[in-house]
Amino acid sequence: MEKLLVCIQCPQGCKLMVKTEGEEVLVAGNKCPRGASYARQELLNPCRTLTTTVRTEFPDFPLLPVRTAGEIPLGSLFAAMGEINRLLVRNRLRPGDVVLERVSGTDVPLIATADMTLN
Amino acid sequence: MSPAKWDVVVIGAGPGGLAAAIAADKAGASVCLVEREARPGGILKQCIHDGFGLVRFGRKLTGPEYAFLDIEEVKGRGIKLFTETFLLDLDRSEEGFVLTLQNSEEAVFRLEAKALVAATGCRERTARQVFIHGQRPAGVYTAGTVQRLINISGYLPGKNCVILGSGDIGLIMARRLTLEGAKVLGVYEIKPEPSGLTRNIVQCLEDYNIPLHLSTTVTEVHGTERLEGVTVCRVDENMRPLPGSEEYVPCDTLVLSVGLIPENDILHPLGVEIDPRTGGPVVDQLLATSEAGLFSCGNALHVNDLVDYVSESGEIAGASAARHALGDYRPPRHVPILAKGEILYAVPQRLDVSLGGQGILYFRAARTLTDAALVISAGGRVLGEKKYKSLRPPEMERIVLDLSLVPAGEENIVLELRG
Amino acid sequence: MAKKLKSVIKELRKFGLTGVCPREWRSSIVLEGEVDSWQEYIAAGYAAAGKGYKGVVNDLRVPGLEPLKEYLPPGRGGALAGKSYDVVIIGGGVIGCAVARELTRWDLRVALLEKEDDVAKQTSSRNNGMIHPGLAAPTGSKKHSYNIRGNRMYTQVSQELGFEFHRCGSVVMLEKSFYRLALPYVRRKALKKGVDGLEILSRQEVSRREPNATDRQRGGIFLPSTGVVAPYMVTVAYAENAVENGAEVHLNTAVLGFEMEGDRIVGVRTNQGVLRARVVINAAGVWADKIAGYANDRFFSIHGRKGTIAIVDKALGSTQSAVLAMPQLGVNTHTKGGGLNPTVEGNLLLGPTAIEVPQREDWSTTAGEMELLLSRHLSLNRRLRPRDIITYFAGVRACTFEEDFIIEPSEYVANLVHAAGIQSPGLASAPAIAEDVAAMTVEILKKTREVKRNPAFNPVRRLTPQLAKLSLAERAEVIRKNPAYGKIVCRCEVISEGEIVAAIHSPVPAATVDAVKRRVRAGMGRCQGGFCTPALLEIVARETSRSPGDVTKGRPGSRMLAEETKAGGKTG
Repeated sequence: MEKLLVCIQCPQGCKLMVKTEGEEVLVAGNKCPRGASYARQELLNPCRTLTTTVRTEFPDFPLLPVRTAGEIPLGSLFAAMGEINRLLVRNRLRPGDVVLERVSGTDVPLIATADMTLN
Repeated sequence: MSPAKWDVVVIGAGPGGLAAAIAADKAGASVCLVEREARPGGILKQCIHDGFGLVRFGRKLTGPEYAFLDIEEVKGRGIKLFTETFLLDLDRSEEGFVLTLQNSEEAVFRLEAKALVAATGCRERTARQVFIHGQRPAGVYTAGTVQRLINISGYLPGKNCVILGSGDIGLIMARRLTLEGAKVLGVYEIKPEPSGLTRNIVQCLEDYNIPLHLSTTVTEVHGTERLEGVTVCRVDENMRPLPGSEEYVPCDTLVLSVGLIPENDILHPLGVEIDPRTGGPVVDQLLATSEAGLFSCGNALHVNDLVDYVSESGEIAGASAARHALGDYRPPRHVPILAKGEILYAVPQRLDVSLGGQGILYFRAARTLTDAALVISAGGRVLGEKKYKSLRPPEMERIVLDLSLVPAGEENIVLELRG
Repeated sequence: MAKKLKSVIKELRKFGLTGVCPREWRSSIVLEGEVDSWQEYIAAGYAAAGKGYKGVVNDLRVPGLEPLKEYLPPGRGGALAGKSYDVVIIGGGVIGCAVARELTRWDLRVALLEKEDDVAKQTSSRNNGMIHPGLAAPTGSKKHSYNIRGNRMYTQVSQELGFEFHRCGSVVMLEKSFYRLALPYVRRKALKKGVDGLEILSRQEVSRREPNATDRQRGGIFLPSTGVVAPYMVTVAYAENAVENGAEVHLNTAVLGFEMEGDRIVGVRTNQGVLRARVVINAAGVWADKIAGYANDRFFSIHGRKGTIAIVDKALGSTQSAVLAMPQLGVNTHTKGGGLNPTVEGNLLLGPTAIEVPQREDWSTTAGEMELLLSRHLSLNRRLRPRDIITYFAGVRACTFEEDFIIEPSEYVANLVHAAGIQSPGLASAPAIAEDVAAMTVEILKKTREVKRNPAFNPVRRLTPQLAKLSLAERAEVIRKNPAYGKIVCRCEVISEGEIVAAIHSPVPAATVDAVKRRVRAGMGRCQGGFCTPALLEIVARETSRSPGDVTKGRPGSRMLAEETKAGGKTG
């Protein structure tokens, strides 16, 4: 497996080349160790924060913006979206409130990012 | 009933206005916020993606989370917020300004302010402003409108989308549309390089295999009732369409991310001096405009890419407005800043050298530069220098200038960028 | 062979149009055969005109030309089947709507049929809104007499119907000093034509009146009777007053044919069934010849002339007070050439251009036409730059080869009145045309039944609050009575939710985004609907008991949205 990518850990944007050789993962082009771990992660198990919205039952706040509290595997995003799209929020939540304990088989919760409470 | 009097009135409760109101309150001024939407937060309400607040909080927050922090502080300080309130007219008065407003509860009412902060944000460039031709089918939207439709209203504008513009808004919407079930056929960018952050190219396009077509633009839309397709065309180095390179792309939605324009139309009656390069008012380091007592911040002043800098400008404007309202006002001594070389624009456009302390300068490079040097000089003498490994127009730079270095009696200060 | 036929053949031969076979039919000349291009089609039409025939019926085929596209609404129902009216008006443009309103002065059952989703969808919303002074129209033509009459009527009509009309005057500038030698002659001619108040202006006087006028000007004339309106507002105002006075307006209703008995129309076939009508009025714009053909009375033909128009930001509206024009003398065109007009809302308007087109409903803009438009008109005002343009659009005029209005009862059909070939100065002429067409219609009706006046006729349209026209105290009063007027939806034009809701429930209901726009201007400002479209969709949906996903921009096929996201979430 081999991948060419641009490191996004800092504005330098080193161009990295990462590949597997047997058991090992080799990274070239990085100017710091963060680049190496980023490249490894991107090759083996790229993860992302998912930000989306969830339907609520409140006509004055019909959609609640949410995010996964941490990163989840890139490959699970669409399954997560499907799961999230079936939810309905029935309480006036505030940022940080948990909407879903575990997203798509991970142990990462889905949390509210906006304040639904009335002024 | 006589109008309520305030030291400072802040127009707009987006990130710029919220920060300005907090700063004015901290400085001891009486301050209120006027907001035309039902809730404060401005555009952040619909920016549900993360990446906000790295500079200001050291965290990667979503738009609503970032706004929440300031909104909670405004509430905590008991700062009065008028919502769904629209500014009809702005006039000078003996002591400052008179605002004529309307809302459903108070009908038409007036506020008086000793100082004003205009934090009115910006609007999007339209299809007509980039001269896209054809009929007027449904299905042509600017990216901000699509973002609002999806994230606030809960609707997909279409199912097969073409995006014009690879700025961050266009890239973010490419991902958002895809996650909510639409197909994004491609992102088209008229420049030879993408405009947005590399992080967004990776996480919004590459993650979803959405192709990016550089040096290509959309010239025509097809369809009478609903969009049926667009004509894309390659362009030359001067961004002019190359005849013969047209291609038809069937789609039902065209999303335009073709630039933002600062919104300052409410300032027209006051005759505020506007910088044609930024689209916002000409200001000094206090963010004071050419109208005494009127301060500008956020995207109304110039289009920012980091909300952290919007908040910073709000803090400066709010503090300056408070000082002005509380009587700490001396006539400014303005020295213009001449932006030369590869600088697209710089804000502020002049410095008030009667004050000491620091001044924060923001600028954008006119094109991508590597190993660039920024030189600040006055009267031929170099006051400061800064080197940059790489500079891109979409990334605004910030430098802090020590005003005590500026020699007295100078006619202007030169800011020059060389690649 | 008749002399006039010979002269047509001679003219055709002069243009090398040998594939054209003219023949006489009733009082018209019919052109049949084949030509190589649309330009030749047009040239043949003009070659045959003005030779003494009542009209030119141009049936020439242009092989290879795209077939003529005509929009027809998708609905097929029986909503109007068997209904009976005294008058059926075909076409909801400014003429049709004005005629409808005039007819309601009598006690008659009037129905206006419009195939589009709203009135003023075609030519009537796609022109420069100019109320011409009547100088340009050829003396002795219907264009001229109706223009002069109509122009004078606008002051009263605008007050009765409550639409904005600014008699701003026009400054027609000359490019060369020596053209001024002709001006005293022009002034005498103007007086004879009924155009009052013409002033000759020196170069300095033009400058004084219009400080931002182009440097190229060498003096000109000022015509005080010129005015401007928002043509779609005029049309809607006429339609609403007509409905208030008892007329019916049926949208999405297309006329597909007539049922004839001898020389009378006995049935009007529509996509909503067959209606009965004592008299039919043909105000069908670019399709007026087709409608005439349904009654075997196609004695003229319509060809389309497209024009592109651009709108300039309000911020520059104050740089000009009168209409500015600089005619291109020596150029032989059938068009006035357009100019630079102030609009009643405070924008400036450029155009229109003029280009002969085969497709009568093609309102697409092109880069080429935009370039032409800007190069010709932008420089008339020194302060304008291309970046000041906030939007542009195109329209198609309905032109006959005789280049004059057809306002007359049919010669052959006992109960058909034509109001056809209405191009510039059609808008200026509309009030007068409507009066005459109504009178002609009543004449015909009186032959078979008594026609009484409508005692309840009210020429004054009922207006709902338009905040922009009110004082602050009046605005406050409106908001206190109805808080929906306190909530501003369109920030660029400062339009409230109350006004939008009123437009949706108006006498000719606005059920689409563009119909709302046409009534209250929401979405016509500098952000072009960027901010207000989502709210507008929600309001239209709510007020018409639909989901936002079903709201269209205009025609039934123009849904604004694809679908609701997370539709499954509702069931939780």
